[in-house]
Order: sequence, then C-alpha cells, then structure tokens
Amino acid sequence: MSNQDILNIQSLTVTYGSHTAIRDVNLSIRKGEILALIGPNGAGKTTLIRAVSGVIHPQAGEISLSGKNLVDFSPARRAKYLSVVPQARNLPEAFTVRQTVLLGRTPYLGWLGQPSSSDHEHVTWALERTETLSLADRRIGELSGGEQQRVLLARALAQQTPIMLLDEPTAHLDLHHQARLLNLVRELTREQGLAVLMALHDLNLVAIYADRVALLVNGQLSFLGTPNEVLTPSRLSEAYQLQLNVVPHPEYGTPLILPDGLRP
Amino acid sequence: MFRHSLSRTITAVTIIGLFLSACASPATPAPTPTPTQPKPIVLTDGLKRTISLPTPAKRVVSMAPSNTEILFAIGAGSQVVGRDEFSDYPVEAKSLPSVGGSYGKYNMEAIVNLQPDLVLATEINTKEQVKTLEDLGLTVYLLPNPTDFDGMYQYLMTVAQLTGHETQASSLIERLKTRVKAVQNKILPLSSRPSVFYELDSTDPNAPYTSGPGTFVNLIIDMAGGFNIGNKLSSPWAQISLEELVVQNPAIILLGDSAYGVSVESVATRTGWSALDAVKNKRVYAFDDNLVSRPGPRLVDGLEQMAKLIHPEVFQ
Amino acid sequence: MRNSFRPYLLNILLLVLAVLLSIAIGAVLIPPGTLVRMLLTKFPGISISANWPETFNVIVYQIRLPHTALVLLTGAALAGSGAAYQGLFRNPLADPYLIGVASGAGLGAVLAMALRWPGTLGGLFSIPAAAFIGALVTVGIVYLMTYSRGAIPNTTLILAGVAVGSFASALTSYLMLQSQGELHRALAWLLGGANMSGWEPVLAALPYVILSLCILAISGHALNVLQFGEEQAQQLGISVQRVKFLLILAATLATAAAISFSGIIGFIGLIVPHLIRILWGPDYRRLISLSILAGASLLLLADLLARVILAPQELPVGIITALAGGPFFLWVLRRSQRNSA
Repeated sequence: MSNQDILNIQSLTVTYGSHTAIRDVNLSIRKGEILALIGPNGAGKTTLIRAVSGVIHPQAGEISLSGKNLVDFSPARRAKYLSVVPQARNLPEAFTVRQTVLLGRTPYLGWLGQPSSSDHEHVTWALERTETLSLADRRIGELSGGEQQRVLLARALAQQTPIMLLDEPTAHLDLHHQARLLNLVRELTREQGLAVLMALHDLNLVAIYADRVALLVNGQLSFLGTPNEVLTPSRLSEAYQLQLNVVPHPEYGTPLILPDGLRP
Repeated sequence: MFRHSLSRTITAVTIIGLFLSACASPATPAPTPTPTQPKPIVLTDGLKRTISLPTPAKRVVSMAPSNTEILFAIGAGSQVVGRDEFSDYPVEAKSLPSVGGSYGKYNMEAIVNLQPDLVLATEINTKEQVKTLEDLGLTVYLLPNPTDFDGMYQYLMTVAQLTGHETQASSLIERLKTRVKAVQNKILPLSSRPSVFYELDSTDPNAPYTSGPGTFVNLIIDMAGGFNIGNKLSSPWAQISLEELVVQNPAIILLGDSAYGVSVESVATRTGWSALDAVKNKRVYAFDDNLVSRPGPRLVDGLEQMAKLIHPEVFQ
Repeated sequence: MRNSFRPYLLNILLLVLAVLLSIAIGAVLIPPGTLVRMLLTKFPGISISANWPETFNVIVYQIRLPHTALVLLTGAALAGSGAAYQGLFRNPLADPYLIGVASGAGLGAVLAMALRWPGTLGGLFSIPAAAFIGALVTVGIVYLMTYSRGAIPNTTLILAGVAVGSFASALTSYLMLQSQGELHRALAWLLGGANMSGWEPVLAALPYVILSLCILAISGHALNVLQFGEEQAQQLGISVQRVKFLLILAATLATAAAISFSGIIGFIGLIVPHLIRILWGPDYRRLISLSILAGASLLLLADLLARVILAPQELPVGIITALAGGPFFLWVLRRSQRNSA
C-alpha cells in the first residue's frame, strides 16, 4: 500500500440473494490516478461501484478510507469523501441544471438545504469546468444525453470530494462528448489530485485515459496493472471470450484493441 | 412578640369565621307560601338521559319524518318550527323550514336559529349530533324506535307529554286501537295465510332486499293475516336470492320500493320472476313504504292497507 | 430572490380570505358589519355592546369558528402529506391514503361503532380515537411487512398498502353490514358527516397536525434530493431509510388526526400539490409549505360550497372535492401530455 492510496478495498464480497456478484476483490485507489474498471457485462463493475458508494452492504470484506473503515461512516460523512457520477437516466425533468448541481452540496448544507454564497461559488465553478454554465437555467429534461451526463459530473464536482466514482459515463455519449468528458476527468485528476474509479466499456478509451486498469471477470479481479499489462490479447480474449488483436496506437503508442472474427 | 399576637389574631379570626359560616348554612328554609306552579315535565329518553322541560315545548324541531307525523297527529303541529329534509307528511309539514338530514348531515346553524326549546331526535340521529346540539345549548329528546304497536302508542303519549297534548293523544290512541282491533277481528277467523314478499330494493333482481324478523313490516304482515317470507332471514334488512324466492313462491309481492320508480309491470319483465305465482296471478302491488317504516300513527294505515291487499275477500 | 416571497404572500392572503368567507357565510344570514363587530369584540381592550341576538353568538363562536378551524387543519394536513408522499414515492398519483391510513381509520371507527362504543355521550371521543389508532396500526403493519434488511422499498410499500388497505376496507364493509343499527352512522362517518362539532376536535387534532406539518415543511431539501432516486440520494449523503421513516410517520400522524375528525376527504391531497407544482415549480422546500397553505384555503372554499349550494341541506365536503377534483385531474393529465409530446 503506497502512501498515495486513499481508498482500500479488501476481500470484498457482495451477493444478491444466492448469486455472488463480486467475490474477494482487493483493490486500492490512489490520489491523482484514474483506475479504470473493465470487464464483460455482468462482471460486477456496477456492483463494485455501488458497494463502494455505500448503497449496498457487502457480505464480506472491508472498504477503508485512509485507514478508517467506511462502514462506520454515516451517509452524510461518506458523501464528503466519495461522489458518484451515475448514468444519466430517469432524471426528474423539472429541475434546472443549477438546482441539480446545487444538490451536490448536500453534505455541506443543513437539513433545510439553504445554500450559502460559498456553496453557490462551488456550483458556478463546477458549471464552468464542465462547460454547462450556459445551460444553468434550463431544465434537465430538455437537455441531450451528453449534456445531462456533464451536469451529473458537475454535481459530483460541486460535491468537492477527494474520490470520484463514475459508472460508464460515456455510455450514451457521442464521440465528441466522450472525448471532452474524459479529457475533463483527467484534467481534474492531474490538477486536484482526484482519485478516480471509472467503469468504462470502450477499451481503447481505457488505454488512453487510464493510469491503471482492473479487469473484472465473473465477479473476480482477474488482473490489475497498467494498460499495457492488462490490455493484452491473451488476457482480453479470455475475459471477453472473443479473439482480438492489440496493436500500438499510431499516435499515442497506447494499446489499440481490434476485435477479430468480424466478417465485413 | 409580634409573631405571638399575629397568631392569636389569626386564631381569633378563624374561630369567628367558622362560627359565622356555621350560622350561615341553612338548616331548613322557612316555609314560604308559593303559588302553584306547573310541575316540570321529566322523562327519560332513548339514550337513558333524564330530560326535563319546565313547561310543554312550544318550539319543536323534528329530526325525522316519524317524529313530524307524530307531532302533527297529536295536535302539536303548530308547535313545530322546523323539520328534517325528508318530512313530507302531513302536507303542512312541507312548508316548514328544513334543517337538513341528507347524507346524515343536519344544518346546526339553522336549528339554532330557529330557537327551539325542544329538539326531537330518533335513533337515526347519531350520538355526535345529539351532543353537538346539547353543547349548543339546546334540549334534545331522543325518541326510541318502538318494536310493536303498544310501544308506538307509548311513544305517542311521550311526545304528547312533551308538548302538552295528553288528552288529544289519548283519544288518538283509542281510535287507533279500535281500527287495529277491527282488522284483527276480520283476520282472526280466516284459515288461509298467504305468503308475502315485501321488496325493499331490487337493484340486483337476482338478490333483492327485503324486511326480515324484528321489523314492523314483518309484524304488520303477520297481523294482516299474511306470512312474510323474509321472516326466515337472519337480519332485519337482508338479501334473498332469486332461487330461494322461487322456492318460497310467494302468493303476493309488495313493492316497497315503488316510490323509487319500480313499477308493477316491470316485475314481470325480470328474468326468472315470471315463474312466481304472484306474478302469474297478477298479485303484485305497489306499496307506500312510509306507512310501515315510519314508527308513528300511520302504521295503522299501513296495517289496514296491507290487510286489504292480502285478504281482499274480507275487506271491501 | 424577492419573488420567492410572492407565492407565500398570495397564499396567505387567500387563506385569510377563505377563513373570513367561511366564518361569514352559512345557512343563517349574518350581516358583515355585525360579524366584524362580533369578532372585534373578542379582542382584549375592545368592548362593543352586543346588539345582536344570542343565537348569533352560538352560531359564530360555537359552530362556524371551530368548524373553520377544523377544516383549515384538515386541508393543510391532507395537502402537506400529499405533497410529501408525491415526493417520497416520486409518483404524481400519490396521495396521503396510499399506504392504508384511510382504510385503517375507517376500520377503527366502524369497529368502535360496531362494539357500541361509547355507552354515553361523554365518551364520544372514543370513535375518533379508535379511528386514529386504526390508522396508525394499519400503516405500522404495512411498514413492518415491507421492512427487509434495513430497507423499505417503495414498490413493496405501495403493494403492501394496497393489500392491507383492501383487507381493512373489506372488514369495514363486513362490519357495517353486520351491525345494521350503526350502519347509517358508519356511512355518515365515512362520508365525513358524523363529525363531532365544537372546539374539542380542533384541540385534539391540533398538536398532531401542527407538529407533523412542521416536520414535513422543513424536509423539502431531503425530498428534492430523493427526486433523483434513493441510490443517488444516499450517495449525496441523505440517510434515505431514516428520512423515509420520518416522512411516513409525520404524514401518517397528520392525516390520521385530520381524517379521524373530518372523515375521509379525497382529492385535496392529490390535487393541491400538483397545482402548486404547476404554478411555482417542483422545489420541495417551497412545495410542501405552499401546499399546506393552499390546501387549507381550497378545502375551506370547497366546504363553503358544500354548505351553501343546497342550503339548508349541507353536502359532505368530500362530494365537492371529488366533483371538482375529477375534471381538474383530467386537465392536469392533458396538460402534461401536451408538454411532453
């Protein structure tokens, strides 16, 4: 465990009824680092994020934050350390962008939810960084999927946490917005020492943006390492049950994953 | 030293005070000649409360049609200042101001504004309504429901006492008893006792409602020389299946729901009803349910009409 | 932020107007000038010689004022609870009766009547008390049935509410048919017509309604966060299950207290929050308190209509709210279809 580790996940096991979603996972997240979570559908990525964020209780294992067991944290306290950017689905349409991002300040607001000027400043900053300030008074129901996703990122930013969890944030975005969002996440990671755990399905984006990669298969951590170490043909073919080639990216030199077996 | 004299003063004052209060409490008041006053009317009502009126009531509000009918029948009609929505007999009652009563809600303001010295309620009225009226400063007498004719006569007399019409009530009761006796005399020697179905509600013609045991309908059918097939049911207001009705096959059908638009002709059109003897023999009759459901003097009218329909052979 | 006071001002004015109309209008005509003098005379330091009949005193102070107060409390309780439930269940069709409080109250009241409580006039409080207890017990059962591993999932809660509520209603109907002597009284109670009058019901319901509505009114922020789903709310720092328990408890207490004395009045809890939302937005920090004010006003106005439309016959106010509520609800549906199309 390096002194940059901020979140430690040890022997984590989560079951839904009789089905074990993740089993005995060991992982740590470091400051200033993007750890990408990859794996086939149903591998347990979302479950892992939900367990870390505290919405489901693990059957076994421990999650500790700078040495303190998260299980002892109240939701309000946990929310000051961990923010989550979920997928933009089923959002209440009538809320404006500003109102939504302001909710990111919840851990710092009292029961009445009355924001101070400092809270408003954080909101404005988050809107600026995610380039959603021009949308501030629009209702989120009127926005495109990409815009909504950026608003949720702004909300997490306003929450001002050292750790951010993102669950497939590029899932419904076009190429343009995928790039912008990931660029932003990386900027923030570098600038502010944010610790990021991000589930991503596009392996080529993982190769470019991730500092480390955790490969989950059937609920277990199959491999953990740098993109070069994890994104190899043998590991990926086994995990995804598909033949593929890995070549160096012509511009960045990072692994470029090309699925095989396609028949044009 | 000051304390010593203070305590002596207190003791003295206390003793004097006790002495004075002992003298002040009256042992027996000196008898003074009082003018003869009418005795207050003291009765126990249906809620087992003792109600007393200093003089017979001059301004009565009636909370049910049966009470209204009783009041007018005993000659107290001019003392009625207000009545419930449903009081429609006698016709003079209709011109009196209404105090509500639909959906179980009475207009308390209207009742108070009439400044009654007696509110005559029945078992239809809830205890909450009685309490509300009493809290508003009114005297409420709850007249219970009688279970037989003697009970009805007794309550006629009760209302008469409350309103100062005992003599009229007595002669009314005598006339009523004579009429009842007349019917019974004609019925007694008869050997046939036709079965009667008294219909209260036929919204579902496969399971109409009828009057069961313990009701005046049941009693009057019996006194009129008939047999109420509803007598065998388990509650006063019960449903009978069409199948059972066919099995019982009543000789006579009385439409107590004729006031709600149920016509004699419509009965024959109901599926399965044309098999009944009553329908085949055209002995289906409309009947004014008010004559057997309002516990007042018109019960006797109900008895007479019922007897005429059941045994036309002895009544011309 | 100055316009954030306007909706409150409007609603308070509307409430004051509704209260005055409710006191001024009834089956008996009391001239407004007399009424003003009657009310002024009650203020300390002002004495006006009474030149009105004694019956007016009875009518205004013992009939109209307490009735106005009870209707006000009831409208506030139903609308406030309805707004809270719509937020909690994230469902615009939610109303305060969603998880069985009304069926429980009905069952409690009818059970007490069937057992022939009370014996005397003095114990008439036993009927509303039985209704109140029935309501709390029923919601409690629904809650316990739903509780599983620290969570009370909304869908299960609603289903359990429907199941238990239906059972309670069936029992109520059965009891009503069995105890025919009390049938009309039970029917009147359910329609809201057999209420006790006077100040006692007001004083009995007041503490529950006031306390609960205060809790609901300050819970607007938590409800806002809940609109994004319970998972996101938890991730933003809300102790979701605790908040749900508190909201359900407060809404149940307020509603149970109100309907135990006023009968089961529909549509106010459903429609008022919608109206407020359409006019002034979905922010629950305002929605709840504005619903409370508007609910009181609107029920007072509906009650006024019920008292005068067929005077001197008084309709149960539930009939007016249903008659007005049905078409209004259709209008809301059409409007939201047009907006989303």
